[in-house]
Amino acid sequence: MQKNRIESQTIDLFTRQNKEKTISCIWLGTALVAVITIILILGFLFKEGLPAIIEIGIPEFIFNEIWRPTSENPSYGIYSLIIGSILVTIGAIAIAVPLGVGSAIFISEVAPPQFREAVKPAIELLAGIPSVVYGFFGLIVLTNWLRILLDLSSGATWLAGSIILGIMALPTIVSISEDAISSVPKDFRSASLALGATRWQTITGVLIPSALSGITAAIILGLGRAIGETMAVLMVTGNAAVIPDPIYNVLSPIRTLTATLGIEMGEVAIGSTHYHALFGMALVLLLITLFVNLSATYILARIREGQTGSSRTPLFSHEQRKQIRSIIILSILVASGWISFQIVGFHGIAILAAILTLGYVGSRFLSRQSKEKIAFGCVTIATALVLFALVAIIFDIVSNGLPAITWEFLTESPRNLGREGGIFPAIVGTIYLVIGAIAIALPIGVGAAIYLNEYTLEGRLTRIIRAGNDLLNGTPSIVFGLFGFAFLVIFVGLGVSLLAGQITLALMVLPTIIRTSEEALKSVPDSLRHGSLALGATRWHTISKVVLPAAAPGILTGTILSIGRAAGETAPLLFTAVVFSKRFLPGTVFEPVMALPYHLFILATNVPGADTQKYGTALVLLALVTGIYAVAILMRRHAQKTVRW
Amino acid sequence: MTRSFSIRSSPAFLAGAVVLLLAAALVSGCVGSDPSVEQRSISVTGSTTVLPIAQIAADTYMDKHPNDEILVSGGGSSVGVKAVGEGTADIGMASRDLKSSEMEQYPGLVEHVVAVDGIALIVNPENSISSLTLDQIKAIYKGEITNWKDVGGSDRQIVVVGRDSASGTREFFYEAVMQKEEFVRTQQELNSNGAVKQTVAQTPDAIGYVGLGYIDTSVKAVNINMDGVLVEPTIDNVENKAYPIARSLHMYTKGPETGLAKDFLEFLMSAEGQQIVSNEGFVPII
Repeated sequence: MQKNRIESQTIDLFTRQNKEKTISCIWLGTALVAVITIILILGFLFKEGLPAIIEIGIPEFIFNEIWRPTSENPSYGIYSLIIGSILVTIGAIAIAVPLGVGSAIFISEVAPPQFREAVKPAIELLAGIPSVVYGFFGLIVLTNWLRILLDLSSGATWLAGSIILGIMALPTIVSISEDAISSVPKDFRSASLALGATRWQTITGVLIPSALSGITAAIILGLGRAIGETMAVLMVTGNAAVIPDPIYNVLSPIRTLTATLGIEMGEVAIGSTHYHALFGMALVLLLITLFVNLSATYILARIREGQTGSSRTPLFSHEQRKQIRSIIILSILVASGWISFQIVGFHGIAILAAILTLGYVGSRFLSRQSKEKIAFGCVTIATALVLFALVAIIFDIVSNGLPAITWEFLTESPRNLGREGGIFPAIVGTIYLVIGAIAIALPIGVGAAIYLNEYTLEGRLTRIIRAGNDLLNGTPSIVFGLFGFAFLVIFVGLGVSLLAGQITLALMVLPTIIRTSEEALKSVPDSLRHGSLALGATRWHTISKVVLPAAAPGILTGTILSIGRAAGETAPLLFTAVVFSKRFLPGTVFEPVMALPYHLFILATNVPGADTQKYGTALVLLALVTGIYAVAILMRRHAQKTVRW
Repeated sequence: MTRSFSIRSSPAFLAGAVVLLLAAALVSGCVGSDPSVEQRSISVTGSTTVLPIAQIAADTYMDKHPNDEILVSGGGSSVGVKAVGEGTADIGMASRDLKSSEMEQYPGLVEHVVAVDGIALIVNPENSISSLTLDQIKAIYKGEITNWKDVGGSDRQIVVVGRDSASGTREFFYEAVMQKEEFVRTQQELNSNGAVKQTVAQTPDAIGYVGLGYIDTSVKAVNINMDGVLVEPTIDNVENKAYPIARSLHMYTKGPETGLAKDFLEFLMSAEGQQIVSNEGFVPII
């Protein structure tokens, strides 16, 4: 009897431990998904790209600037496309950083708190506008404005691409920089003001340096979005595979790596050198984004080190920094001079010179109070510009789209190539895609976060997992599309299907879910865990009953943001899941579907005479995605207000 | 730890739970539905040029036969050939002939010519040019003529608009008009007929090429000057072979067509099907 009891206890203990082990293994498995995916992506791109790279030769492939894959004497040089990608991104950053950081300063430090309360969530909401909607606006409105305004022969230019990408990156940059600036401790402000500094001096001398790492992170995130963006760029830059002549000619058409993939991938004969060259191109694109992300992480780490006063010598000495600063200022001056010369001729240079002289005179002779006024004026103008751009896009789409919205439009199938009828199958298709993607990504993502945060200490394995996750996060969406096509559609044999699209989208949002879930788990204080463990609960019991419920709002916010992102994406679906028209809803996951972003893309580029329908589709897509984001923002604010540890 | 665990019942959490539950319900709904009537379904994929014909024919056909479903998607001629060859689609659409490599790879493909397409050169309605010779067109697309004044227009830079490197329309243009000489590298490359038309309609100095079906009042079709005779790009002129830039549009099946694919192709070849062809601006073959 006694013996029996002990045995059963040991069995119980044994199974309990076993259970713990199994669970921990499962979470390890989920945590490895991101790493495995990025390895698979690299592997597949490499496998598919290698034949072309061998046939063409690396120097010829990278440094030949002529991309002419289908001519009698084909030439597969992607140099001009690489340059195109880089130039468009530089332009976008040049537009988005001053405006974004300026508005962040205005919202955080200059505007009254009520303004902040209203504008901050609005700008965050705008981060959710799908890229195909930006591209649509760019194609129909922006290129036309530019052409008329600057008297060009065509508005589809590098400048148009950079403006659209800049506007796209703005919400992210404003929102995160503002967080960074307003999270600088109040004492810093008070101390600086008490010493007699003006508010502007406090901002430039104290707040911005303290918030530098946050602002840099914001810029890097924006940069990442810009360089990997496909749909918007494809629709506005003209796609001529040339290097601008001269190189700073922002009015030249330009073609990026992503646009080439988006345009040509669907139409290329599979197995041809052209096909393999496109995969080689995707590999190059992925390597560029990885390089950008890695160097960004490095810079961020150095900045943080500098701020916490680590013992390592700073990256640059004080003298070097001064030199670097003057070089940067000088090059910015020269560059902006050239650009304004390109756009408006000598008048541009004259205006620029006048502004500079005024600025110089101002800085020498004006009192610091007047300087503050001027600076505040500038950041106010920056904010006004940002809001204007965003409001212009939304107004254009809402005012043109509203007439299309009828009950019929929302509940019927398209007829006559989408010129008549409705978009019901596209709405449902998008919902199916998103739900499937989340159903796949959420367990895996939360599992990975639990493993990283609850089951291991920082070590080599977690570093590898985190690195894999970061790399996956930086992978351009079009690369996910190619991977989905090569791996899921062809290799696994799913065909163009709902399931292939769901998995592709799931892999794309996985890093976001892992990251936000991990943040949410981290914010649960250890005292809760200790309390539960001290009461005899197992680790899994503690996690499932104590930690996860407490972290739920945070995890949910991340999930909803992912839903928004997945709903608005076009590029990953182009070759994996969508058809142009489908009358019945899909009966199984192996059938293809319609999707809103793709429907908009096709209506805008392929179907003549569907003007109201395309604006209507854009409006529905916009409303759907921003609606999802609005829920996320409201939930986060609610959680911030009610949850206090 | 001032207020700890009330979040479980907080509205935010509830709202989230409801969203996820709804999600789960929809997923199960999406997987679980089964058709009570026997449905036939085929997919038609490929050239964006043939797409309007196939789509509208499919719609008309499905209106008559509610249990049949015909899924039409674009992607391009190469996708069409590949898809039907690999068996992922039942009918492949192509706006060009099979390449020798494709014939080798997929020897069983059966060709069906469903329509003939004329390629029209289009300019902006503001442009004073109304006719060009084939040599002038070639020179413009080669980059040898860069200003409208060299072909009798006003002194404005020509904006050359073309199709992307994977397009069947471009391939045909490359062979028929360019005689396999290279395009100027500054040409804008767009991925569809519709995008070319949109750009030309918005850009006063642009020239582009699209299928006849895409011509409307927002652009002006250029007449081709054949040794002094001006040939308008119209269906009639393509039909009587006076218009020089035209090609046939194909659908391919793997082996002889069967089932719904057969019914659909028969419908396309019928008088009603060919009426759709001409309604969409293409040239019927019967």
